[in-house]
Amino acid sequence: MDSKIAQTQALFEKFKGAYAKKDFETSCTLLSQLKVKLTEFQSLPPLFRQTSTAVAELQLARSIFEHAVVLSIMTEDQEAFERHFLQLKPYYSDTRSVIPPSAEEYPILGLNLLRLLVQNRIAEFHTELELLSPATLENPCIKYAVELEQSFMEGAYNRVLSARQSVPHETYEYFMDLLAKTVRDEIAGCSEKVYDYLSLSDAKKMLMFSTDQELLTYAEEEHPDWEISKGCIYFQRAKETVHREIPSLPLINQTLGYARELERIV
Amino acid sequence: MATALVSSASGLIAMLHEPHPALKLHALTNINTFVDIFWHEISTDITSLESLYEDDSFDQRPLAALVVSKVFYHLGEPNESLLYALRAQSLFDVSEDSEYTHTLLAKAIDEYASLRTRAAESNASTVTVDPRLEAIVERMLEKCIVDGKYQQALGIALECRRLDKLEESIMRSDNVMGMLTYCMSISQTFVNQRKYRHEVLKILVKIYQSLPSPDYLSISQCLMFLDDPGTVASMLEILLKGDKDANLLGYQVAFDLYENERQPFLLKVRDHLPEARVLTPLEVPEGATNSSQDPENVMEHTPASMEIAEDGNQPSEVQTVGHHGNAVDNEEARKYAEKLAKLKKILTGETPIHLTLQFLYGHNRSDILILKTIKQSVELRNSVCHSATIYANALMHAGTTVDTFLRENLDWLSRATNWAKFSATAGLGVIHRGHLQQGRSLMAPYLPQNGATSGGSPYSEGGALYALGLIHANHGEGIKQFLIESLKNTNNEVIQHGACLGLGLAALGTADEEIYDDIKGVVYTDSAVAGEAAGISMGLLMVGTKSDKAEEMLTYAHDTNHEKITRGLALGIALTVYGREEDADTLIEQMTRDQNPILRYGGMYALALAYRGTANNKAIRRLLHFAVSDVSDDVRRTAVLALGFVLYSEPEQTPRIVSLLSESYNAHVRYGAALAVGISCAGTGLPEAISLLEPLTSDVVDFVRQGALIAMAMVLIQTTEAREPRVGSFRRQLEKIILDKHEDTMSKMGAILATGILDAGGRNVTIALQSRTKHDRITAVIGMAVFSQFWYWYPLIYFVSLSFSPTAFIGLNHDLNMPKFTFLSEAKSSMFGYPPPTAPPVAASAIKLPTAVLSTSARAKARAKKESDMKHATEKSILEESSQPTTHTNGAIRASKAGKEERKDDDAMQVDSPAEKKTEVEHPSGELLHNPARVVPAQEKYIKFLDGSRYVPLKTAPSGFVMLKDLEPSEPEVLVSSDAPASSAPGSTSSGQAVQSNMVAEEEPQPPQPFEYVA
Repeated sequence: MDSKIAQTQALFEKFKGAYAKKDFETSCTLLSQLKVKLTEFQSLPPLFRQTSTAVAELQLARSIFEHAVVLSIMTEDQEAFERHFLQLKPYYSDTRSVIPPSAEEYPILGLNLLRLLVQNRIAEFHTELELLSPATLENPCIKYAVELEQSFMEGAYNRVLSARQSVPHETYEYFMDLLAKTVRDEIAGCSEKVYDYLSLSDAKKMLMFSTDQELLTYAEEEHPDWEISKGCIYFQRAKETVHREIPSLPLINQTLGYARELERIV
Repeated sequence: MATALVSSASGLIAMLHEPHPALKLHALTNINTFVDIFWHEISTDITSLESLYEDDSFDQRPLAALVVSKVFYHLGEPNESLLYALRAQSLFDVSEDSEYTHTLLAKAIDEYASLRTRAAESNASTVTVDPRLEAIVERMLEKCIVDGKYQQALGIALECRRLDKLEESIMRSDNVMGMLTYCMSISQTFVNQRKYRHEVLKILVKIYQSLPSPDYLSISQCLMFLDDPGTVASMLEILLKGDKDANLLGYQVAFDLYENERQPFLLKVRDHLPEARVLTPLEVPEGATNSSQDPENVMEHTPASMEIAEDGNQPSEVQTVGHHGNAVDNEEARKYAEKLAKLKKILTGETPIHLTLQFLYGHNRSDILILKTIKQSVELRNSVCHSATIYANALMHAGTTVDTFLRENLDWLSRATNWAKFSATAGLGVIHRGHLQQGRSLMAPYLPQNGATSGGSPYSEGGALYALGLIHANHGEGIKQFLIESLKNTNNEVIQHGACLGLGLAALGTADEEIYDDIKGVVYTDSAVAGEAAGISMGLLMVGTKSDKAEEMLTYAHDTNHEKITRGLALGIALTVYGREEDADTLIEQMTRDQNPILRYGGMYALALAYRGTANNKAIRRLLHFAVSDVSDDVRRTAVLALGFVLYSEPEQTPRIVSLLSESYNAHVRYGAALAVGISCAGTGLPEAISLLEPLTSDVVDFVRQGALIAMAMVLIQTTEAREPRVGSFRRQLEKIILDKHEDTMSKMGAILATGILDAGGRNVTIALQSRTKHDRITAVIGMAVFSQFWYWYPLIYFVSLSFSPTAFIGLNHDLNMPKFTFLSEAKSSMFGYPPPTAPPVAASAIKLPTAVLSTSARAKARAKKESDMKHATEKSILEESSQPTTHTNGAIRASKAGKEERKDDDAMQVDSPAEKKTEVEHPSGELLHNPARVVPAQEKYIKFLDGSRYVPLKTAPSGFVMLKDLEPSEPEVLVSSDAPASSAPGSTSSGQAVQSNMVAEEEPQPPQPFEYVA
């Protein structure tokens, strides 16, 4: 067993080396091998066997997954981020009594919150928040994410965008870039509802584009149903409003049927 | 070290998405372990699991399927879950003891069973059964058998229509006999398809026969359902050729067959038996002494002997041997012939009917005082109540041959005119029911004289023919011809009416073409009165044959203008589909969709009779639908009533099902609900039924009250106050209604009839629609169905007597005689005893006098009289026993037995003691009963046969006809002295007088001497 840990440890060191050199390709392959190795450890979640080497194993595994999470940001792979984070989470939530907390815990939790915000999964965002203790909420990394969300919800998009300057951790920058796009989508969605049409210049300002070209590309890619003509963007509101007719005839029939049945009963 | 608990499966799910297969496998294995806790988390990601299963490159697909199956199970999607469980193949472990496995197994078996059923019903292999499903079920069956849960295995096999497995589960069990019995009973109760049931029964017969010691009683029952008289006959033959025990068994088989009342089948069995072919001069007298009371016995032998005599060309082996003077063989052959004759007499019903008659006569405990009270309180001008009293009398004395009340009140009786006369005459038939030998001579004074129009009124002549039918109901071999002739010889519609009913009863279920044509002729005369009876009669004749005559009847029912004929025919059609279950569906459909409400009404009866006692859900659903949706009140009433027939095998269910209907705003529906409960819970004394009926007996509508009173009487028949205190209040209620001048005629009639039913058959019968082996008694069910027609036609009330079944234990020895035999009933005698006789009217009507003294002295006199009359009877009342001064040591039992009676009747005791000399050892834990004894159904479980008695019963059920095995055959047998009413025909004037006087004395004490009240 010890040798297994040692082996994994060695492999992990190798991975860290590659990671430091920003050789992401090598890191990814090494990581994959590491994860397979981890499956052999009995003390890891979800089995939590109480082996003699449990603490070492858990710490090693946690460290590996923490690196994996950061690596996935580096490679800008959101899916991998989610996957690794979810696998990492039990080490934070369930093993608190076994191993000492990690220094990386809060930054990573904050990252995850940010990710949810970026992906506009507000419900899950709040679920995650509920799981945290009040003290944790004071942590700058977490607080940052929480404040962002509040601004986002209020519609104070400018505050969201300006928050990029004050990131608590360098890894947050990736998500902040993505967040700008989420904000834009949100604005676009609102505009669709609010306006029948917008002039290109207004739209540009509103969606925070610097050139018309950017705006047009965005419209083309994200909202193909927008119609652009005569310097205006027409949101086809008419298309969305579906006239809801009251199905009067079936309702009348049904009610009459009930009345008849009622009369018959007993 | 502190432990860590898993709080979420999200990590594992995330791992599933890892590209590396090893990680996927790892995740999957762990998910499988935790799925029961985290299924809610996993369920959101179920698609990825499903795609994992569909991924061909993944080598653990079954595992993925298993996980998916578990998740679907938790999601409440049993179908999906089962599908994936099947895909999990061997990973799905049937022996796992988890809720998931149990649920899925149940589902799998259900699914398999329904597939198999569908496959069997469509008769094609269009429904393909998933082999994996089959494998699971088979694994399950194997497991059940290995674990020793044979009954489960059998049940599953039965439901899945796996007859091979059924057989296997029986044969491999450790208690083959028990399993066979179990299988037999569940095949009757749970298999609701005739055809399939027959297949099961065939298997059962096969197994039974393959056993080293075949259980002939059970085999014969199976064969009866399979309608295989040939095999039964050959089996009986083997038994008769065996030793004495085998002979006894043979007789027992015959009695059991008889109890199921399938006349056509019994006749066929008899015809399959070989003729008693031996000719010795000794034979005839031997047969006669054998049962000296019936001359017909001799008659029966003579033709057989004659035949042999004429059959000179081919003398039988036995005969040849006989001629050569080989005495031993001859003797044996003669004995065999004798036994055969006995057997045949059982099968034709002659012996059992005779014994029943003897029992009912000997044990008659009817209370004529009740009738007197009714008679006095009923207004003379009110003919409905007048004839109701006559009905009540007939029912009270059904089968007892005691017609004292009528003979005593000839004057009063003569007020019955027209149809009342008809029913008064017919009532004699009920009283003399089963009096086969004397029936004809009894009725002779009333019967139409051949050819000439006799002096008698057509009403009494018609009634007499109907009476003959009642006497010979279901055993009409002897009387059929006479009835046919009477029918042919008359053009009077009243006589035709009586003859048709009589003929229908006598030839019940024989499907005799000739009789059918004669009756059809009557229908086509288009006379309303005769046509109605003829319609019913046709049905009676064709009971359960599902003959295509039904079409013919239906056509005529449409053509005729007479509602009565339509109704008669509608009921007749319903009778033809008796017990045919799903075979009858087309006809039922046709009838229930008819424009004519009377035919729809017939359709309800058809549903009731076709699905009688099956508790078939489909039938119940249809009936309930009609009960609430039909436009005609008649149809609705009948639909509810019909529920009673469908549910009589599960009486506990009925009150629950009709409870809502009994509160309906529609009086007809309430009436139907009352009768439904009455029919299905008849004789059970079920508390729920009583609670349901109680409010209905004081309903606002008169006919509902009538129905409820009658139904209540049916439920409470033979229930004692010790078992159900409400009997007493019900009796008082009846009395109050009868005596009340302001009560209206309808409920008064109901009360009078209820009184009759409550004390029916001399208090020795119950209403039983099922035989003791839980099979339907065809006559009883039909009797009840026609009885429920009394709404339209009062004379049909008499049909209820067909459903009366004597509650008797009749033990018989090898010669079919009753030996002295004692057994124990481990219950207080007050639990199942006779109700105490009512106080004479003097006591009841005494005006503000200190009646206590008077009543006891009157009672004492009554008792003394009764004692002296009944000294010759072997049966002794409990009361008398308790008053014997023999064992005062047994204080406890004595106290429990005698109770208040003893205290009340202090001076009665003094009169009794000298009268009753026989000493009887009291048994510590109950009362001793003497063969033949009254054993009410609820009492059966308390009956114990004593160890060390001379006779051992051949079957365990302590009721009905039981053959007794003699353990000391060398000792001379002591027989119970027979007090048959038959020996000296009471119909004929001279000897009848003796019997009559005998009975008169029994019935009422003299009123006390005039006295003066001194303060």
